[in-house]
Amino acid sequence: MLLTHAEIVALALSFKVSLVGVACSLPVAVGCAWLLARTRFFGKPVFEGLLLLPLILPPVVTGYVLLILFGHHGAIGRWLDAAGLSIAFRWTGAALAAAVMAFPLLVVALRNAFESVDRKLEHAAATLGAGPWRIFFGITLPLSARGLVAGLALAFARAFGEFGATITFVSSIPGQTRTLPIALYELISMPGGENGALRLTLVAVVVAVIASLIAALMLLRGGTREAEA
Amino acid sequence: MRVIQRLAACVIVAVAGALASMSAAAAPPTIFAAASLEPALDQMAHDGALGSPAPRLVYAASSALARQIENGAPADLFISADERWMDAAAQRGAIVPSTHTDLLGNALVLVAPSDSTARLDLAQGAASVLETLGRDGRLAIALPDSVPAGIYGKQSLTKLGMWDALQPRMAMTRDVRAALNLVVLGQCPIGIVYRSDAVSEPRVKVLATFPAASHKPIVYPAAIVKGHDGAATRALLAALQSGQAHDVFRRWGFDVLAH
Amino acid sequence: MIELDLALQRSEFSLELALRSPARALALFGPSGCGKTSTLLAIAGLLHPRRGRIAIDGHALFDADANIDLPPARRNLGVVFQDARLFPHLSVRDNLRYGMPRAATAQRFDDVVQLLALSAFLKRKPGQLSGGQIRRVAIGRALLREPHALLLDEPLANLHREARAEVLEYLRGLKRGFTLSTILVSHQPDEVIALADSVALIEDGRLAALQSIDAFQSSIAASGSLLAAKACASG
Repeated sequence: MLLTHAEIVALALSFKVSLVGVACSLPVAVGCAWLLARTRFFGKPVFEGLLLLPLILPPVVTGYVLLILFGHHGAIGRWLDAAGLSIAFRWTGAALAAAVMAFPLLVVALRNAFESVDRKLEHAAATLGAGPWRIFFGITLPLSARGLVAGLALAFARAFGEFGATITFVSSIPGQTRTLPIALYELISMPGGENGALRLTLVAVVVAVIASLIAALMLLRGGTREAEA
Repeated sequence: MRVIQRLAACVIVAVAGALASMSAAAAPPTIFAAASLEPALDQMAHDGALGSPAPRLVYAASSALARQIENGAPADLFISADERWMDAAAQRGAIVPSTHTDLLGNALVLVAPSDSTARLDLAQGAASVLETLGRDGRLAIALPDSVPAGIYGKQSLTKLGMWDALQPRMAMTRDVRAALNLVVLGQCPIGIVYRSDAVSEPRVKVLATFPAASHKPIVYPAAIVKGHDGAATRALLAALQSGQAHDVFRRWGFDVLAH
Repeated sequence: MIELDLALQRSEFSLELALRSPARALALFGPSGCGKTSTLLAIAGLLHPRRGRIAIDGHALFDADANIDLPPARRNLGVVFQDARLFPHLSVRDNLRYGMPRAATAQRFDDVVQLLALSAFLKRKPGQLSGGQIRRVAIGRALLREPHALLLDEPLANLHREARAEVLEYLRGLKRGFTLSTILVSHQPDEVIALADSVALIEDGRLAALQSIDAFQSSIAASGSLLAAKACASG
C-alpha cells in the first residue's frame, strides 16, 4: 500500500501542523489547567466554559472566528501582516486551528493530572522554602507526568484529525494547509477517489490507535502504581 | 457513574426523537440542493411558490449531497450544480432516471470586493490575474476536483491557458460559498464563483465573465430520488419550472433551461 | 521564646490559645482532636488564624494587628508532618536536600545523615523505606533546612514498637546535639517527657495549663494512669 506523492506531502504536513500546534497549545493549557486546579477566583465557572468553547462550537464556526481575527485585515491579523508574520493561508494558520481545537482536551487532561497530585506534598515543599514556581516544576509537574503525556497524546490525535476549522480558516493549499484530513475529504468528494481515501483512512487509523495506546498506557500504569503504594 | 447513565439516557432520547421525526407521515418534502441555489430557493419557498407546506431545503456541495443520497439520506428531490454528480447518483441507482430534468444554467465569473479598483482582462491571460493578486494574494476557488464550481473553473482556466500559472496561487475552499466569503471578507482579492453568487452578494462585483465556450455547459439537473416518487414530489418538480419560479431564478442570475 | 496567641475556627472545633514560654522545647499535649495539629499548621503558615500573634525568638511570623502574615516558605521553620510527606519521585538524598539553603555545607549534610543513620539508603526512593526510616528522613529533611525552629507533629504516631523506640532514640540525640527551638505536638506522655522542657496542656481548644516538664512528669505519675489512660485511649 504505497501513498502517492501528494498524499505523503499531506501526511508530513499533518505531522508538522499537529506537533507545532500542540506544542504551542501546551504552555497556555498548562497555565489554564493550573489556575483551574489550584486557585479560586471570581468568575471561574465562566472561565472554564470559555476554555471549552472550541469543543462545543461547530468547528466551522471556530474556523470562521479564526478567519475574522487572524486573516488579512483581521483584528490580530493586520498586525501579523505588518510584521511580516502573516499566518493566513499558511501552515502556521493550520497549526493555530489545530492548537485551538485540541486545547480543551489538553486543559481537561492536565487539570485532572494536577488535581491528582496531593496538595499536602505541595504544602510540605512550601514549608521547606520553595516558591510557587519551584513547587510547580519540582513537585506538581513530575508527579502529574503520566496524566500530562496521556493528555498530550489525546490532544495530538485531535489536532491530527482536525478538518472543519482548518479548511474554513486557511482553505486547502497543497504543501501549506492541505493536511491529511483535508486530502481525505477531497478524495471522497471525487468520484473514483475511494482508493486513495481508503489508504489515507488507514494511515489516520494507525496514528489514532498509537495515540490512544499511549494515553491508555500512561493512565493505566499510573493507576496501578497508586494501588500498590 | 450516575453521570454516565444520565448521559446515555439523553443520547437514547435524542436518537429516538430524531428517528421519530424522520418517519413522521405528514413531513414536508425535502429538497437537497446545491449551495448556490440557496437565495433563489429560499425566496421561492418564502413566497409560497413551492407549495404548502413549504419544502425542507438542505444545501451543501453537490458531491456531499450525492453521496448522502446514494447512502439513503431522506431527500425527495435532488438538484445538483453539476451533471457529473447527477450521473454518479444515476449510476448508483439513487434517482428516478425518467424525472431527470435540466433545470437551470449559470455562468462563471471572477469577482472582487465591491470596493476593489482592480481591472482584469481575460484576453491577457494569467498575467492580468497575477497582477491583480499582487505578491501574496490568493485566488479563491472551490475544490477544483470535486466541487462543480471548481471543476468548471479548472476547465475554463485550462482552456484559456491560465491553469498552470494560477494553480500555485489558489486557496481551495470546501464549497463555492466559502470561496465567495473569502472575497467578501477581503481575505482574497479575487475569487471564482457563479454569476448567481455574485448577484446575490452586494459586497462583491464582477470583474470578468468566463466565456461559455471555455467550460462545459453549467447545467443544474434536477431529479426525483429513488423511492420518493409520488404526486407531491412531481408537483414540486413542476413548481420549479413554473413561470413564477423562472422569474425568481432569472432575478438571481440563473439561466432558465427547462420549460 | 515561643509566643502563641491565636484563635482558629475549624469545622469540628474552635481553638483559642495564648501562651508565652521561654522553654527551648515546648510540647502541646492533649487528646486527639483538641486542636494541637491545627495549632502547628497555623505556626507553619498553612492555616490562617482569625486573629492573634505568633512569634518565635522575637521573629513575628503572624501578627494580625501589624498586618504580618509570612507565607510558609518565608517562615524558616522545619516541619515534620505526621504523615512525613516525603516526595515520592525523589530519592532520599534529594528529599533531604530539598530545603537546604544555598550556603549550606556538605559537612552539615553528612552530620545530619550520620546522626539519623540514613547513609545506607540515600539512593532509595521513599516507597522502598520502612515506617521508621521514613520518619527519620522527614526529620533530617526538616533539620537540613537550617530553620529557626523545628515543628514536630506526633513524630512517633503510627509506628510499631521497634520503630518507636528507634525514632525516639534519634530524637533524644537530636535534643542533645542541636539547640533549636522546638514545638512538639503529641498525645503520648513518654514522647513529651523525653523531648520537651515545658508542656502546654490543651483541652477542648483551650489552654488548660502550662507546666514544666518535671511538674508534668509528677502529675502523670500522680494521677496515676488516669491522665495517661485518657490521653492514650483517645489517641
